[in-house]
Amino acid sequence: MSLSTEPLAATGAVGAAQQAAPALAARTSGLRKVYGHTVAVDCVDLEVPQGAVLGLLGPNGSGKTTTIRMLLGLTRPSAGSVELLGVPMPDGADRALPHVGALVEGPGFHPFLSGRENLRRCAAAEPLLPTEGISRAVDEALERVGLGHAATRKYRGYSLGMKQRLGLAAALLVPRRLVVLDEPTNGLDPAGTREIRAVMAELHGSGTTVVVSSHLLSEVEATCTHVAVLHQGTAVAQGSLAELLDAGTPTLTVSTEDVQIAVDTLRDNRIPFWSDVDSVRVELVTATPQQVIEKLVLAGVGVREARRERTGLEELFARLTESDVREGS
Amino acid sequence: MTTASIASPQLLERTPRAPLGRLLGAELRWVLRRPRTLAAFGVLALVPLGLGLLMSMMDFGAAPLQGPPVLASLLGNGMVLPLAAMGMAMPLLMPMIVSMTAADAIAGESSHGTLRGLLIAPIGRTRLVVVKAVGVAAVTALAVAVLALLGITAGVAFTGTTEFTSLSGTSLTFMEGIGRVGVAAAWVWLQMFAVAAVALALSSLTDHPLVVLAVMMGTLIVFAVLGGIGDLSWLHPVLLTTGWMSVIDVIRDPMESTALVESSVRALCYIVIGLSATIARMATKDS
Ligand SMILES: Nc1ncnc2c1ncn2[C@@H]1O[C@H](COP(=O)(O)OP(=O)(O)OP(=O)(O)O)[C@@H](O)[C@H]1O
Ligand SMILES: [Mg+2]
Repeated sequence: MSLSTEPLAATGAVGAAQQAAPALAARTSGLRKVYGHTVAVDCVDLEVPQGAVLGLLGPNGSGKTTTIRMLLGLTRPSAGSVELLGVPMPDGADRALPHVGALVEGPGFHPFLSGRENLRRCAAAEPLLPTEGISRAVDEALERVGLGHAATRKYRGYSLGMKQRLGLAAALLVPRRLVVLDEPTNGLDPAGTREIRAVMAELHGSGTTVVVSSHLLSEVEATCTHVAVLHQGTAVAQGSLAELLDAGTPTLTVSTEDVQIAVDTLRDNRIPFWSDVDSVRVELVTATPQQVIEKLVLAGVGVREARRERTGLEELFARLTESDVREGS
Repeated sequence: MTTASIASPQLLERTPRAPLGRLLGAELRWVLRRPRTLAAFGVLALVPLGLGLLMSMMDFGAAPLQGPPVLASLLGNGMVLPLAAMGMAMPLLMPMIVSMTAADAIAGESSHGTLRGLLIAPIGRTRLVVVKAVGVAAVTALAVAVLALLGITAGVAFTGTTEFTSLSGTSLTFMEGIGRVGVAAAWVWLQMFAVAAVALALSSLTDHPLVVLAVMMGTLIVFAVLGGIGDLSWLHPVLLTTGWMSVIDVIRDPMESTALVESSVRALCYIVIGLSATIARMATKDS
């Protein structure tokens, strides 16, 4: 996993702007949702700063979609409150939602209509879209998600990725203040995933706040300025990406063919680490890089490469959600 | 993270709305392009055409007539055909078509995930019910129109006459006949829209369109059975199906309106209850 530095730089900028004018695009407090005996979401206090790209992370069933549905007023919380663009939800839905574009729980369209006709139907319901602007908005949205060539084909015949793109197009029909995307890269090929990232970067660039849920960590790490991690319905971590990354310990990745020897050595020395097929990642809490390499080399481990890295979000995520993965500490 | 205040931009102080006309147009376009709506109209068209064919065959045979009185009076009386067609489609075929349309309007959209899109737009939850009700009302009107217009056309074509004999034996002009068919069509529309309003309420309660159809048809069948039990006559005034036979009354001379008016009032009650229940349910429905 590589760690790009661009989002960090962006975080810095947003962080500075925030201090000048603290403003939130969305906020939940004490949010809770119970379905029968299932507690889907519990005590979630989410804060989405304006202009941020917030990654909502969590394994399957952790409550991402439920949280998003409550944000959008599609479901009433069992307890707690939601404010969207400064308006309480779901009562203020009519005021806030025109400025919000969303793709929730996969795209929903009619199979017997073409992509363009489906979008026209969505566009007709958009309060901020003037009637004479519908045609253009629809065509532009189709082009933006790369569906221009398939606009006249029936939705029935769309591939999974094309359906997902059409869903994204519906969220982008109008310039938005907030765009909420629930697992937008579901079913997309690598090119599609890159395009989604590009769209999100574009939205971010134009000042739109973005909330994106995902269980693919790499995705969130590459595109988000802020992260909230959900686990079994509660937010176990949230903050700016930079903050969360700094909170993690730096690591040293040692590539070697003698992983087993390395594992034994580290365990003997009580140095925490994760192991992989051809490398070990050592947490630099108790030992310095020099000490680690010295110990490994002395134990006869053929060190091919040693690289110092900061903790990636993947480790953070793993630590927060599946703490039993870690060995050796 | 510390608590920060939420900015409240002035833009959000007003509530923008998509024009109602545009929403209705989009709804009608959607409803009328749906293959099953068109198929339903096709099936409905078979009723007056089939009746016309039957009538012309009876004409040739000139045999003494047996069967339902409506069919019997068809002979040589072109204007009765649209009424007969409506009378035949009313107990099952029409309720099935309007229930299906109402089922697709909310439960169907919900199961497709498209209802979510409309609510997020946002279309407004009460306006959504208004738009849906208008869509279903339009399909109901078109269905009745298919029966009435094709009925008149087939009636005139197969009998070759435009004359019209009332059940009371007097003769009515062509224009009077058209007027009577119009009254019958309006009355049938009202009865069917009452079915649709209840179906819409059911539709807002479930995500499965077939459940709506099954419950609605089951209810109407139970109503018809209860309506046939004399001992339960105290119950009959609240059954929607009571008085569904009174469409015949429009071809009496003068027109017998008591049963028609009474059943219309009943239908209006069902419409008010059905639509209110739908609005109440949609206000809190999860999507
Ligand atoms: N309508 C519902 N009825 C009953 N339980 C529900 C409902 N919606 C969600 N849940 C439950 O709430 C929990 C959280 O679900 P949610 O869909 O929010 O998870 P998620 O984080 O979006 O998962 P995924 O990554 O699989 O999309 C799950 O245990 C789920 O079973
Ligand atoms: Mg989900």
